[in-house]
Amino acid sequence: MKKMENRTNPENFIHAADLRCSYRDENGNRQEILHGVSFDVARGEYVAILGHNGSGKSTLAKLINGILEPDGGTLVVAGKDLASPDVTDDDIYELRRQVGMVFQNPDNQLVATLVEEDVAFGPENLGVPTAEIRQRVDAALATVGMTDYARHEPHRLSGGQKQRVAIAGILAMEPSCMILDEATAMLDPAGRREVLSTVERLNREKGITLITITHYMNEAAHADRVIVLNDGKILLEGTPAEVFAEPEKLMAAGLDVPQCTALVHGLRASGAALEGEPVTIEECADLICRAWEEKRHGDRRA
Amino acid sequence: MATVALDHVTYIYGAGTPYEIKALDDVSLTVKSGTITGIIGHTGSGKSTMVQLLNGLEKPLSGKILLDGEDIWAKPKEMQKIRFRVGLVMQYPEYQLFEETVRADIAFGPKNMGLSDEEIEARVKDAAAFVGLDETLLNVSPFDLSGGQKRRAAIAGVMAMRPEVLVLDEPAAGLDPRGRDGILAGIRNYAAATGSTVIVVSHSMEDMAAFCDEIIVLAHAKVFLSGTRDEVFSHADALSSVGLDVPQITHLMSALRRRGLDVPEGIYTVEAAKEALRPLLE
Repeated sequence: MKKMENRTNPENFIHAADLRCSYRDENGNRQEILHGVSFDVARGEYVAILGHNGSGKSTLAKLINGILEPDGGTLVVAGKDLASPDVTDDDIYELRRQVGMVFQNPDNQLVATLVEEDVAFGPENLGVPTAEIRQRVDAALATVGMTDYARHEPHRLSGGQKQRVAIAGILAMEPSCMILDEATAMLDPAGRREVLSTVERLNREKGITLITITHYMNEAAHADRVIVLNDGKILLEGTPAEVFAEPEKLMAAGLDVPQCTALVHGLRASGAALEGEPVTIEECADLICRAWEEKRHGDRRA
Repeated sequence: MATVALDHVTYIYGAGTPYEIKALDDVSLTVKSGTITGIIGHTGSGKSTMVQLLNGLEKPLSGKILLDGEDIWAKPKEMQKIRFRVGLVMQYPEYQLFEETVRADIAFGPKNMGLSDEEIEARVKDAAAFVGLDETLLNVSPFDLSGGQKRRAAIAGVMAMRPEVLVLDEPAAGLDPRGRDGILAGIRNYAAATGSTVIVVSHSMEDMAAFCDEIIVLAHAKVFLSGTRDEVFSHADALSSVGLDVPQITHLMSALRRRGLDVPEGIYTVEAAKEALRPLLE
């Protein structure tokens, strides 16, 4: 697989080299979860992380925003070396302001009794002046399309709306990066679309670095780049087309490919002349259509 | 084999308060005996309320829940018997594991049924086999299992009661594709071996299309659509109007039709799509 040009450059927003992390189990033994992982994420990039349950995806996310500490290797996020012994609490607070996380369960991350108070929670803790908090909250709610719900109770919102409020809460802290840790897993199809289109727009328009951890292969197909973790190591890395061109490796790692990609691979295996690796519905339709037209012309000539 | 039906069921949270929410509004439906029936619906459409009504965890404000034609609330003191016949696997059931070994956890339900030790052991083994949980794992603590294995153990605990109706609320949520396929195969094994009726709630249209015979669509506390899988997924626009969708492969087939390819409607799985396209490309 092609390596990205910006690889292993400490100037990148995230630079990880031989990164290791372990937990202590209940018997006090160290269990290593990440066995030396190296990758970079450029500022403004959109990266999807795939991997089976227990592959180390969430551990990686928690390292990036300082919830967990590395046990070895290098991890530089926003210019701070998190593996260094000199990391201070202030560094970690600044890191968490810059890297916001949205978790799986929409009911576990809203804390206030009104939507706007929930969004204000972050900037209040950062000591932002009151007038500016107001501006930030209003702007953040407008960005995620929840202005009309500012004075609603969060627990009465739909799952997709709750996740958008959680995203607004992060936006109000003016982050440079957002990590969605299976943030769409509990949502209905409309909720999934709402959340994804919101963060993808923030990535495009505001240049916020976006990292999505997901079990939905067709969500990963939207990203600029996909990193596949397997048992705490990187198995594959590349564009969605490059990664989904390896269905056997993905299946062996407990994963899958999007339905469109599975169809193209299946047709090719039974002899259809389909070249290329489409990952979206439109790309796939174009490819099949071209093959169909070529075959019709060929038949006519014959 | 049992038939489950709702007869004019209404359920309201916080009834009589200013915060009341109608979760089910005069819903009548019958789940066909011996089928795998999917329930889909937007968040808040009433799906989870409905599954909790089916085994008497919640009581309808009005209307009846019928099991083989009998009102399950006719004799409230005998509700435990109903719960042996209608087994409910709630969302994230692995959080409810509590015993010292996987075996003891799966045996908990059958033990409460007053079965003999041999019968309990046989049921534990069968249930573990249905969900593909290796027998060597029966002696370990459930807390030493992986996430996917814990989910299987929790589902096996309900299967061990041999319910005539097995109800599962989002059984594959949060699992990786292999874990998801394993759970769905386990449910299929149970249905095939016991002939039980299976009711599954899910947000994944792809899973529902690959897995269900029948589908019931709830929207805004009412039944919006119901029928065979093919009937329900043929209403793509209607599904999208209530926050749902058709499988990705079905969208692809529509995109091909728009480009002039003569592919049939009614394709909901990758396998069916392959069969339809092969003659056009070979």
